[in-house]
Amino acid sequence: MAAMLEISDLVGGYGSVQILNGASLKVETGQIAALLGGNGTGKSTLLKATSGLIKPWAGTITFDGERIDGLRPDTIVRRGLVQVTQGKEAFPAMTVEENLKLGAYVVRSRARMAAALERVYGYFPVLKDKRRQLSGTLSGGQLQMVCIGRGLMSSPKMIMLDEPSAALAPQVVMEIFRTIHRISRDGMTVLMVEQNVRMALLLAAYGYVIKDGVIHLEGPADKMIHDDNVRLSYLGGTVANREARL
Amino acid sequence: MIDYAIDLCIIGLSVGMVYALVALGISLIFSGLDIVHFAHGEIYMIGAFIGLMLFQKLALPYVPTLLLAVILTGFVGVFIERVFYRRLTRAGGGYTVAGMGMVIVGFGMSIVLQNVAFLIWGPKPFPFPVPFGRPIELGNLALPMSYVWIVVTALTLMAALHLVLRKTMIGLAIRAVAHNKDIAYLSGVNVPLMISTIFGIACALGAAAGVLIAPINYVQVQMGVGILIKAFAAAVVGGFGSLPGAVLGGLLVGVVESLGAGFISGTYKDIYAFVLLIVVLMVKPSGILGVAAKVKA
Repeated sequence: MAAMLEISDLVGGYGSVQILNGASLKVETGQIAALLGGNGTGKSTLLKATSGLIKPWAGTITFDGERIDGLRPDTIVRRGLVQVTQGKEAFPAMTVEENLKLGAYVVRSRARMAAALERVYGYFPVLKDKRRQLSGTLSGGQLQMVCIGRGLMSSPKMIMLDEPSAALAPQVVMEIFRTIHRISRDGMTVLMVEQNVRMALLLAAYGYVIKDGVIHLEGPADKMIHDDNVRLSYLGGTVANREARL
Repeated sequence: MIDYAIDLCIIGLSVGMVYALVALGISLIFSGLDIVHFAHGEIYMIGAFIGLMLFQKLALPYVPTLLLAVILTGFVGVFIERVFYRRLTRAGGGYTVAGMGMVIVGFGMSIVLQNVAFLIWGPKPFPFPVPFGRPIELGNLALPMSYVWIVVTALTLMAALHLVLRKTMIGLAIRAVAHNKDIAYLSGVNVPLMISTIFGIACALGAAAGVLIAPINYVQVQMGVGILIKAFAAAVVGGFGSLPGAVLGGLLVGVVESLGAGFISGTYKDIYAFVLLIVVLMVKPSGILGVAAKVKA
């Protein structure tokens, strides 16, 4: 199997603050990979550097056989790699359908846009019922569906999801994860950043644990799920985080 | 008495359309680029001068003059944004330190544009005589055709802007960029190009205002100073950053000014807009159609 996405020795951050210290990972075509780690370990930064929102300082990113590091985000979307950000960021003053259509901005053909819209409504039937509603009126779960749906609208080769389960009710999390599974089965390559380690490793084929901006551990998900190091590494992150919050 | 008031309102509404067009541009730039554009009055002036050149030197009819001036000034705006503003806005607008720099650059651009215009056209006011034909009779008011042109053209432009923003993919992208640039980027929108487009449209609207007012007033280098303050008053009255607010604010400022000049005194014509501004800000600080302050990331 060829790697769809290959990141080597990625260094980057915000302003003068370095967050990624040479992270490397690989996502095989058609696979779901999970990127795990506590808060502030560089998960989101890695995704942003890959999608082009921040420029990597060093290292290479190869997507579908071509270098994409340093390209503008819209160019990377055109190449077929889409990021869905954390925090369920939709456009509240736009209807559900407008939000989705925006995701197909790089698609110039109306027929292909209509087909993509039907596919997204197939994954998330509730969005079809609410398509004329402003997205500002939706529940958290529906908003997450809008965001994932928007990511799917350009029919990308690969999608990167930043904490799709964050701040959602358990049943909704189940529903979102089931849909991610369906999307993957239909041929999509997925890189998923998650704090919900168990769920992510159950869904993913391969897992990475990031710590201090480098990949700390990696392995097949079914092995990782029983690995004490993973639990420690991950739980360490949350415990520290919980203390920090108190 | 009532008739007189109605006449004043009609005049006020048509002048208010001009304020509304300039205020629309200021609001568009504010929502899209997160900056307050202090050189917008000069864009309006440049637009009027470009119109004057087309009309007199090339002897074009009024409608092609208007269209061409609008398009050309739009490109002048794109040029200014690409060459001068981009470096600053890239570092962040709004309430950031770079946003403050942008305010200063706006003032600077206003002075530069005034002086460029001064070098080219000199200090003298130019008449812009358009043979519009006989005024139309509305009751006992003979409304000059130039006012009718303002109303018709402004309404057409506003309707066109509304349709573009609501019904096209470009409009969707503009609204996306105005709300959240990162998400717009990740949806595949070429954000820098869209920012230039927003700036260009805003300048085009300003030019339309300049060419529309020119047959009533004179065209001169200083004409942008007064309109900027009125348009700001209009934008703030309506709710800064809100496009319907900019239109409503422009019309209100026009009508209040016209009624004040007619019933109180024409000498203090410029005061009434600001009295309105102060009253609105006392009652509703976010402006009539304004929402609570835009959340900045």
